[in-house]
Amino acid sequence: MSLPLGAFELTVERQQIPSRLVRMAAPTASVAFGLLVGAVIIWASGQDPILAYTEMAKKGFGGRLALTGTLVLATPLILTGLAAVVAFRMKIWNIGAEGQLILGAVASSGVGLWLGDNGIGGPVGIVLMLAAGAGAGALWAGLAALPRAYLNTDEVISTLMLNFVALGIMNYLIFSSFSHWRDPSRATFPVGRFVDDSMFLHRFTGRLHIGLFIALAAAGALWWALRSTRWGFEVWVTGDSPRAALYSGMRVDRKILSVLMVSGAFAGLGGGIEVGGVLGNLDPRALSLGVGFAGIVVAALARLSPLGVIPVAILVASFTNAKPGLQVLGIPSEIVTLLEGILFLCIVGGEWFLRNAVRLQRRAAGPRPVGVEAAPS
Amino acid sequence: MNDSVLLLSLASAIVIGTPILLAGLGEMMTEHSGVMNLGVEGMMLGGGVVGFWMSTQYPSMPLAMAVGAGVGALFAGIHAYLAVTLRVNQIVSGLALVITGTGFAGFVGSSNDSALIYARPKSSLEPVFGEGMQELPLVGPLVFGHDWVVYMSWLLVAVAAFWLFRTRAGLALRAVGEDPATADTVGISVGVTRYVYTMIGGAGAGMGGTYLMVEIFATYQHGITAGLGWIAFALVTFAGWRPWRALVAAYVFGALRNLGFTLQILGASVPSDVLNALPFVLTIVALIIISARPAAARKYSAPSALSIPYSREIR
Repeated sequence: MSLPLGAFELTVERQQIPSRLVRMAAPTASVAFGLLVGAVIIWASGQDPILAYTEMAKKGFGGRLALTGTLVLATPLILTGLAAVVAFRMKIWNIGAEGQLILGAVASSGVGLWLGDNGIGGPVGIVLMLAAGAGAGALWAGLAALPRAYLNTDEVISTLMLNFVALGIMNYLIFSSFSHWRDPSRATFPVGRFVDDSMFLHRFTGRLHIGLFIALAAAGALWWALRSTRWGFEVWVTGDSPRAALYSGMRVDRKILSVLMVSGAFAGLGGGIEVGGVLGNLDPRALSLGVGFAGIVVAALARLSPLGVIPVAILVASFTNAKPGLQVLGIPSEIVTLLEGILFLCIVGGEWFLRNAVRLQRRAAGPRPVGVEAAPS
Repeated sequence: MNDSVLLLSLASAIVIGTPILLAGLGEMMTEHSGVMNLGVEGMMLGGGVVGFWMSTQYPSMPLAMAVGAGVGALFAGIHAYLAVTLRVNQIVSGLALVITGTGFAGFVGSSNDSALIYARPKSSLEPVFGEGMQELPLVGPLVFGHDWVVYMSWLLVAVAAFWLFRTRAGLALRAVGEDPATADTVGISVGVTRYVYTMIGGAGAGMGGTYLMVEIFATYQHGITAGLGWIAFALVTFAGWRPWRALVAAYVFGALRNLGFTLQILGASVPSDVLNALPFVLTIVALIIISARPAAARKYSAPSALSIPYSREIR
């Protein structure tokens, strides 16, 4: 494609490998553009965009309290991001991290409470609790994985639907029943029963707990598994060409099961860590929808790199962390959600520059050689 | 007595089913063009909040609906630009649109000078038909007791069904959704088709959101759609991409929303949390049943090119 501009012309060609400059410049320019759009909206609503942005940066990263708060919020986001990375790598579109995280929280708080009732706690209890979370997430994803692997049922819709089923289960356990999870002493204002103190994850400073490092280790493990194991290689091949994978003797149905369940396990672990590190109980008010969907966008912005998920998740978490602080200044905190959405849209759109090379060049004299324009690179 | 409780709850199922139907029907047209827009919830909120604002300024429901539809279409236009022109992953773009629409609605709704949360619409709709017809047994409350938006939604279902399966334009639309390369070779513009129907989908969501806020709740609250947009998205699959089935399914889903109250009045107690999850369970079950039966899968499955970006150069 080309666009004549006087003596010059603008050509657009497909490219496989973008240059290093473009790889850096495209996301930066997209963020800048998104911030500019956001600034116009903030300004149009009668607020000071500069003030809003500096406050957001300050509330997200300025000082120990802000920074640890951001890292605590980033922890589940890293794990739902990883959940999306591993599935999307194989072009299995798991958009059910939300529900898998919720079921992970349900299982780990359930197991945590049961262990506490039976006098088991401490590190053993914590390990069992987190394992239950990961396991429940994997099984919940398995509900979509089985029909996907053996009946070819569209996993986009089934995983999406399962989010709301999981939400219903969690709400039922706390709001509509006197279950194992609910605190029986609070009849009018239902809350979840708290797990034993010995089951809380170790805290370092402020609210920062060991869960962050579990998430970082998970990212490292996934990076290694995708890069250096047979399983990772098969995920890559199956994602690129399921038919080639099938003909070379790979068990594609099992791969679908394992990838979706690993994906669910990451999200479920995230739910377990939220219970053990932040909430201490099953709290539907805190576990409402959001982290799972944001994790998908985080994974996309990280270009499906397990390690890339970490900085992106921290950045997105800093936004969320800045919300309450902005409200104090009289800036509606919802601007953060709007800005987040605009930035996501801009960065996702900016990916176009990674797949296409745009060049401004002097127009060649005389007729163009036939076929040059249409040739795909 | 029990009869009238049942009848009233069926009638209100039609009311709550209407925003689901409007948004779902729009999304159905979008998906028939091969574009999947997960952003229904965001477009409902984003379009609805502006439609609601219009209704607090000027007492005209048609105007509010038109404004809501227009803003919804603009939101969908963002998705169309990303999905069709820039060919990004439609799941990611759709989810980003949910976040954007939710943030936009919250921002507009809570800006200090407008404070939509405290505002009320300047008018509300009356049933179209007279008292005499509304008092007819059975069909009175069910068929003749509604406002014009409900009847418009019925008309839109008929138009959509006719358009999709009885007109050349509908054939072109389905061709773009099933096999864009072939559609392209016979001279149908894949890009234009996808843009137009994606924006029609956004208009449906915007109308649904406006009706929900202005007429059903007559107020704006944060997250007022409470998952109705996702139900509308599920509706498309549950209805097997067929408009008439969507009409029935929307009222089934609407009835499930109300069933909790009805059952309580009748003395039974099923928690609303369970009922709220039922539409999604039903959709999964329908999806699995359809995919397990090849004959049904051919007839009621998603358009083949759904969520696959089209490019003339890459096949």
